[in-house]
Amino acid sequence: MNERLTGLRTRTRAGHFSQYRQPASPELIAECDREGLSWPMRMARLTRRMCEAERVVVEPDERIVFTRTLPTVPAVYAAEDLAAMTEGRTLHEGGIVNNVCADWGMAIGEGLLGRRRVALETRARALAAGDDEAVEFSEAAIEAIDAVLALAGRYAAEARRIGNEDVAAVLERVPAERPRTFHEALQSLRFLQAMVWLSGHHHVGLGRLDQYLWPYLAADVEAGRLVEASAEELLAEFFIALNRDSDLYPGIQQGDNGQSMTLGGVTPAGRSAINPLTWMALRVARDVGLIDPKVNLRISADTDQALLELGTELTRKGLGFPQYANDDVVIPALASHGYDLEDARDYTVAACWEFIIPGRGMDVGNIGAVSFPAAADTAIREGLAAGASFEDILSRTEVQVARQVRERTEPYERLLWAPAPWYSVLMTDALEKGVDHGRGAKYRNLGIHGAAAASAADSLAAVQRHVFGIGDVAADELLEALAVDFVDHEALRRRLAEESPRVGLNEPLVDGLLCRLYDWLADACDAERERGLIVRPGTGTAMYYLWLARGRADGPLPEPVVGATADGRHSGDPFGANLAPTPGTPLRGPISVLQSYAKIDYGRICNGGPITLELSDSVFRSEGSIGKVAQLVHTFAQLGGQQLQLNALSASQLMDAKAHPEEHRDLIVRVWGWSGYFCELSPEYQDHVISRHLYAEV
Amino acid sequence: MSRGIVFDVREFTIHDGPGIRTTVFMKGCPLRCTWCHNPEGLDMAPSVMRSPAGERTVGRSYEAAELAEILSRQASILAMNGGGVTFSGGEPLMQAGFVAEVIDLLPGMHVVLDTSGYAEPAAFLDVASRVDLVLFDIKLIDAEAHRRWTGQDNGPILRNLALLEELERPFVARIPLVPGVTDTQDNLSAIASTLALTPTLIEAQLLPYNRAAGGKYAACGMSFQPGFDEDQAPNIDVEPFRRAGIEVRVA
Repeated sequence: MNERLTGLRTRTRAGHFSQYRQPASPELIAECDREGLSWPMRMARLTRRMCEAERVVVEPDERIVFTRTLPTVPAVYAAEDLAAMTEGRTLHEGGIVNNVCADWGMAIGEGLLGRRRVALETRARALAAGDDEAVEFSEAAIEAIDAVLALAGRYAAEARRIGNEDVAAVLERVPAERPRTFHEALQSLRFLQAMVWLSGHHHVGLGRLDQYLWPYLAADVEAGRLVEASAEELLAEFFIALNRDSDLYPGIQQGDNGQSMTLGGVTPAGRSAINPLTWMALRVARDVGLIDPKVNLRISADTDQALLELGTELTRKGLGFPQYANDDVVIPALASHGYDLEDARDYTVAACWEFIIPGRGMDVGNIGAVSFPAAADTAIREGLAAGASFEDILSRTEVQVARQVRERTEPYERLLWAPAPWYSVLMTDALEKGVDHGRGAKYRNLGIHGAAAASAADSLAAVQRHVFGIGDVAADELLEALAVDFVDHEALRRRLAEESPRVGLNEPLVDGLLCRLYDWLADACDAERERGLIVRPGTGTAMYYLWLARGRADGPLPEPVVGATADGRHSGDPFGANLAPTPGTPLRGPISVLQSYAKIDYGRICNGGPITLELSDSVFRSEGSIGKVAQLVHTFAQLGGQQLQLNALSASQLMDAKAHPEEHRDLIVRVWGWSGYFCELSPEYQDHVISRHLYAEV
Repeated sequence: MSRGIVFDVREFTIHDGPGIRTTVFMKGCPLRCTWCHNPEGLDMAPSVMRSPAGERTVGRSYEAAELAEILSRQASILAMNGGGVTFSGGEPLMQAGFVAEVIDLLPGMHVVLDTSGYAEPAAFLDVASRVDLVLFDIKLIDAEAHRRWTGQDNGPILRNLALLEELERPFVARIPLVPGVTDTQDNLSAIASTLALTPTLIEAQLLPYNRAAGGKYAACGMSFQPGFDEDQAPNIDVEPFRRAGIEVRVA
C-alpha cells in the first residue's frame, strides 16, 4: 500500500466521496405511465435516466473511476399498480433480480459494443419471426447499453477536462470494447458492476475474478507492460473503490451487500484454476483490509499448504474471510442436483454462501428457512402429550420438517422476476436467446436454509436421554417447564442443558440426530422434484438465528418462532449462526466441531452455509500459528466438510468496541454470511457476535 | 480402572508441543505460584466459575477409558497434523496413575507431559517413561526463593530433572520470566548452569510474564495477589543460555 492508496483508503473510510451525492434521484413513474411503457421498457428507462442523472466525478489521483452520486433507485410503477399487475405471483425481495453473478469475463471481453451487436442481431431475427417479446427485450437491452456508454463517455470527457489523461484513455476504450490491458479490464468491471447497482439490483457478486481477469494480467506481464507491484496497486485501487458507495447498497445490515468474489478452485474442464492472480488477490485483500470484496476461496484436500497459509493471514487480520468452500464435495453435489458438470466446476459463491453458476444461474438461494428447533419442539410437545415413543417423536419431527419445506416452497411455484434488461446484457446467453435472465436463465432452482439444527438435535437428545433413557425427567414435568420458560424449573433446565449430549463434541448419538434432521430436509426437498422444482437444502441461517428465536420486528415472518426448547434454552435466546453449536455448549475446540459437522451428507445438502469456528486471537500470538491454522483448514477439507469460516477476535476487544465505538471504527467482524464493521451493526447483532467469542474463550 | 479429575480438554492447543494438539488439563496442583494463570486448576475438587457467559462447573471426573475414547476419536487427525495429546494442568503428576492408564490406552499417539516437575520420583517415572516429550518447568534455582514464590521446596523438581536424564527422555525446559522474581540475572544464570548438564534438553523456552495471568481469579471467586510489580517489563535475556551452549527461544 503506497501513499496514494493509503490516501484513497482513508478518504473512502472517512466518507469523502459522499460529498458528491445529489439530494435526490429522478422520479420515473409519471413519465412511464404517461408514455404507457411496458415493464421491460420501464426497467430500461430506469437505467437510462439514472445514467443521465449521474454526476461525473473524477479526482486527479484516481486511476479507476466511478462514484455513485444518486442516493436511491426510484420505482417504475406505483406500488398499487405493481400489486395489481402481479397479483397471485411471488415477488422475491420485491421481484428485483438479485444475488446472482454475471458472466463478467464474457461481458468485459466482448465490450458493450459487442453486446449491442448481439442485441441487434437478435432483434432482427425476432422481428422476422414475429416474436414481439424478444423484440422488446432486445430494444430494452440496447437502451440500457446506450445509456451506460453515454455515461462512460461523459466520464472520459471529464477525465480529459481535468487532465487525468490516463483515465481518459482507458475510458475511451472500455467498457465499449475489449480491454487491451489489466487496467482497462478493472475499469470496465468497475463500471459494468456499478451500473448493476445503479439499476436497482442488489447483492451484486463479482464471481471468479482471478479467472476472468487473469488473461489480461498475463498478457500485460508477458508484453512487459506491467510489473507485479503496479498490478497490485491497480487491484488494490479497485478493491478500495468497491467500498466507496456501499453504504447505499441495500442489505439487512450495513455490510450485507453481497460484493463477494471467489478465488481458486478448478476450471470448467476440471484442472486447477489457481494462477498468480489468485495469490495476488488474496495478498491485496489482506493489505487493503476493508470489508469489500468479501473473499471466498475454493479449496480441496489437495490444496497447496502455502495458499492456505496466505488465506490464514487474512483470518489473522480479523477480516472474517476468506470463507472456504470444498470443491471435493460442492461440485459432485451440484452435479447431482441437475447442474452440468462443467457448470458445477465453474461455481461461485453468491452473497453469503450459496453456490451459483456465473452467467447461468438465477437460483433463489434463500426462499426461507426450515426451523429445525420448531419442528423438533412441536414433535416433542405433541408427542409427549400423546404418550408417544421416542421413535414416534422422531417421525413427528420428520413430518414437521416436510410440512415447513412445502410451506416455504409453495409460493415459489408462482415466482415472478421483474425484467432486468441491463443485468441480462451481462449474462451468458440472454441476449443471444432474446429472453430476459429472470425468465430464461439455465438454472432457476430454489435454496432453503436448514436452520439451527444443533439446537434441535440437542433438544431431541435431551429428551431421549432424560425422558426415555435414564428417566430422571417426567414428560409432564418437561412439558410444564417448557410452557413457562423454565420459571421455577431452573434445576431441570440446567440438567437438560448441562447433562445432555450436544452437537459439536463429536458424540455419535446426538450427531446421528443432526444427520437425520438433514436427511429429512433433503428428502422433503427431493419430493419437490415431483412438482418440477429443484430445491437445494442448505446449512445456512442468515439472520434466522435471531428471527426463529424472537420473531422479526420489522415485518411478518412466515417461519414458526419457537419458545423455550428442551435443550434448556430460554425463550428468545438466539441459536447458533450457520453450522455452529448452540451458544453455551461446553466445546473442547475446533477438531470436534469439524468432526461433528463433517458427518452431514453434503452430497444432498448443497445450498451452502459454513461451519463457523471462533479462534481466540491468542492463537495467532505464537510462532508457527499460521501454519497450524492452515493445517486446520486442510483438515476440514480432508474430513469432507463443505464450507468453513474462521473468526479470530477477542471478546474483550469486541466489548471495548461496543463501549467505545469511536476507537474501533475499522474493527471488522463476520456476521452471518458477510463481514461488516462492528460499530455499524445494531446492538442485537453486536451482542451475538460478542457472545460467540465469549463462549469460544471461557 | 482409575478415575481422574480434569478441568478442561482443549483442542487446537498450539503452544503445548509439536503440531496440532489436544491438551488435557488435570485438576489439582501442589504448587501455589503467585503468577499462576490457571487458578481453576489449583484445587483438585470441582469448583464453580462465573463469567458474563454464565456459570459453569469446573472439574469433571472421567474414567480412564472414557477419556481415552474421546481422545482416540481424533487420533488420526492429530497424527496427520504432526501432533498428539498433551497432559497439562494443574499438575498432571498429582494424578499420575490415571494419566499413565490413559496413555496406555492410546497406543501410537504422540504424547507430551507438561509438568512442574514437582512429584514423587515413582509418579514422575511412571508417566515420563510413557511419553514422547516432556515440557519441564523450571522457575527458581534458589531453594528459599522457590519456597517463597511457589509454596514448595524445589528439591523434588531438581531430582526429577536428573531422573529425566537417566530416562534419556527428550525435554524442553520452560522458564516463566516473572518480573523481579524469576527473571533475575542470578536465577537465569543458575538455570542455565543446571540445564547445561542435561544432554537430552532440546531447547529452553523463555515465557515472558503475561499481564492476563490474573484474568480468571474473579470468576473463580479468588483474589489475585501476585506480590510483584506486574507492570515491570520482564528481563528477556537469552545470553546465559547461549553462553551455556543451550538452544533458547522466547515463546
